[in-house]
Amino acid sequence: MGLFSKLASLLGFKRKEASILVVGLDNSGKSTIINHFKSEEDKTIDIVPTVGLNVEKFKVKSLGFIAFDMSGQGRYRNLWEHYYQDVNGIIFVVDSSDSLRIIVAKDELDMMLQHKDIKDRNIPILFFANKMDLREALSSVKVSQALGLDNMKSKSWHICASNALTGEGLQEGVEWITDQLKYMVEQNKR
Amino acid sequence: THLLSEHTVIDLPTGVVAFQMDTCDPKVSAIAVASGGHIYVYKNMRPFYKFTLPTLNIEPAELEVWNQAKEDKIDMSSMKEVLESIRTEVGESNLSSRSQRFLMLEPEELEEFVHVHKQFPLKRQTVVTCLSTMKKSMAEDDAVSCLVLGTENKDVYVLEPDAFTILAAMTVPSVPAFLNVTGLFDVEYRIIVACRDGILYTLKRGFKTGRLCVELLSQPVGLLRVKNTVVVGCMDQTLSCFSMKGRNLWTIKLESSIVAMETIDITYLGIQLIVIALSNGLIQLYQDKYLVDVVPAEDVVTGIKFGRYGREENTLIMTTRGGGLIIKILKRTAKFDPKNLTPGPPAAQHMKLSVPKKTKLFVDQTMHERENAVRMHRSFQHDLYRLRLNTARSYVKVLTSSLTPVSTGGSDPLKLSAQIQGLGPVFRLRLEIQNTSTDKPSTNLFFTFHCDVRIYRVDKTFIPIPFLAPGLLYSSATKVECVSELGISDVIKVFVLRENEGVPLITAIINMPISEGMMSSY
Ligand SMILES: Nc1nc2c(ncn2[C@@H]2O[C@H](COP(=O)(O)OP(=O)(O)OP(=O)(O)O)[C@@H](O)[C@H]2O)c(=O)[nH]1
Ligand SMILES: [Mg+2]
Repeated sequence: MGLFSKLASLLGFKRKEASILVVGLDNSGKSTIINHFKSEEDKTIDIVPTVGLNVEKFKVKSLGFIAFDMSGQGRYRNLWEHYYQDVNGIIFVVDSSDSLRIIVAKDELDMMLQHKDIKDRNIPILFFANKMDLREALSSVKVSQALGLDNMKSKSWHICASNALTGEGLQEGVEWITDQLKYMVEQNKR
Repeated sequence: THLLSEHTVIDLPTGVVAFQMDTCDPKVSAIAVASGGHIYVYKNMRPFYKFTLPTLNIEPAELEVWNQAKEDKIDMSSMKEVLESIRTEVGESNLSSRSQRFLMLEPEELEEFVHVHKQFPLKRQTVVTCLSTMKKSMAEDDAVSCLVLGTENKDVYVLEPDAFTILAAMTVPSVPAFLNVTGLFDVEYRIIVACRDGILYTLKRGFKTGRLCVELLSQPVGLLRVKNTVVVGCMDQTLSCFSMKGRNLWTIKLESSIVAMETIDITYLGIQLIVIALSNGLIQLYQDKYLVDVVPAEDVVTGIKFGRYGREENTLIMTTRGGGLIIKILKRTAKFDPKNLTPGPPAAQHMKLSVPKKTKLFVDQTMHERENAVRMHRSFQHDLYRLRLNTARSYVKVLTSSLTPVSTGGSDPLKLSAQIQGLGPVFRLRLEIQNTSTDKPSTNLFFTFHCDVRIYRVDKTFIPIPFLAPGLLYSSATKVECVSELGISDVIKVFVLRENEGVPLITAIINMPISEGMMSSY
């Protein structure tokens, strides 16, 4: 409960910030998505593959976010789990045009869900089926099937098809996670 | 994934490799396909170049025959005769393919065959049997590499990647079937050639001919380089590992024959595995000689490649006999642990036995055995028959007189054991008798003894056994005194008889010990 009361105080009164973890395979578009939410002056023009991780801050609907933009490369993926403990929400980005590696994404997701810091907590997970503009992209329904999201009963989740280059779909997704976080805070206040 | 493009190759392809042709940007790999006497090079999915193997010298006599044929100066039967004699002289494989074909035809087909072909110049062409690549001067992944190929004519060529000229030509004593290349062409390289006759040769920079490395017991079906060793899969379902010097490090027997093999180099784990596709549809992964993993495939896998595929570093790509393509990506958390799976051969197999030096006696004996082998065998056989005869005789005797301590047949299956206790002159003879049947008791039996009365006196010469329940052990005892003063020993026979019957059911013969008390007391 300690965490939630802390979060409540953070969100409800003081600094209004929620920390979220952004994970997904390399090249899925995580950094591009976060870049989209940043204010005009903070935006970077060219996005290079992330090394290790980047910490970014942005605001949606008066809620401040601290986003941990993790690198998705195989050799950095073991860093993800170190942040599981302290996050309020997770954004999982999938390159929906990379149907071959969706199985790898599922594998990483399953490992994350089995992790001791995630398993028994009700953390909202937002999925972006990114790169929906590409011709060979799978629909969000297909992606959720491939990831086996229907079997994930213990967490509240939501999936959006997105295009990080134009920003399509991103707003909807982030609004969902904002509502989830706010709702949780309400619950804990009572 | 989907089929990107399809090209038809005229002849059966015998080798496919991807290689870097030049240093121009963007770095596009070219694909070389060996087929017949040519190598077709494709770039950007389009045919790019066709390399043809150099033609070989033709026997002058053979050329002469075909020249005559061109001018119609020779008839078919004599032409056939001449070609046949050339064939016996130089061997089938040194004839041009046209002559080979000619000699295979039926007499009535000859005329037409010659008519069709005689206009064209006679060529002798060899075919590519295997294809590989070698980095030219730099070891980077995208550095320019040369093509290395083996031919039916027992040659190994290294081709220049840009102009396709032959940079180096070497020969091996038999037809190459597999090539394995390490090193750089401009610096130092080593090519291991597995030949069709089961012999491995090594070729080095600057040498024209191959050096014999290993003679296999069977034909090779795959050749790999793992660290500093050579791993060869053979037709006899074995996987063997050799040092570069040709010493056999280990050999394992597989459950099925090998169809394809490949090395798996997992850099972040720092291990190299051997993956083998078996004809029973299993994919086995070995670390050295230890099986670390088995993956079932839906179909027999005929081709395996391991490496980077797109963004995934460790991908295993397999083609199956039915034309399928399987892509497997190594899990990030995968660990290969040989201990929890069945190990290879036991360690004892590799222990050196300390064989002692041959002594003079041993050598003499060997010589003797070698010279008199027949006689020795005969006398051995003779003695063996004697032994058998003696055994048979004793057996018959035993059977007829019931001299055994165990009676099996008949109405009373009994077991008798006797024991002598004491040092003498007075002994105690303990007898144990058991009815070994399951349900039939024996009645009205008794023990009696037979001995030389001058030596032994038995206290109770008659011990009745009125009833023997099945399975139970009955014991009784009697005193036996040695009455002789000569310090000799004899046998005492113990009989088990049934009242009113003359033949004993069983007999035990006891070899008495020498009475020790004798010497002192009396
Ligand atoms: N067509 C298309 N391209 C996209 C989209 N989102 C991202 N990309 C491109 O995908 C590439 C990778 O994007 P990144 O944001 O660097 O991916 P990442 O997930 O942060 O990758 P790592 O940091 O290596 O884990 C970039 O070239 C982006 O321009 C999309 O929605 N559509
Ligand atoms: Mg990134």
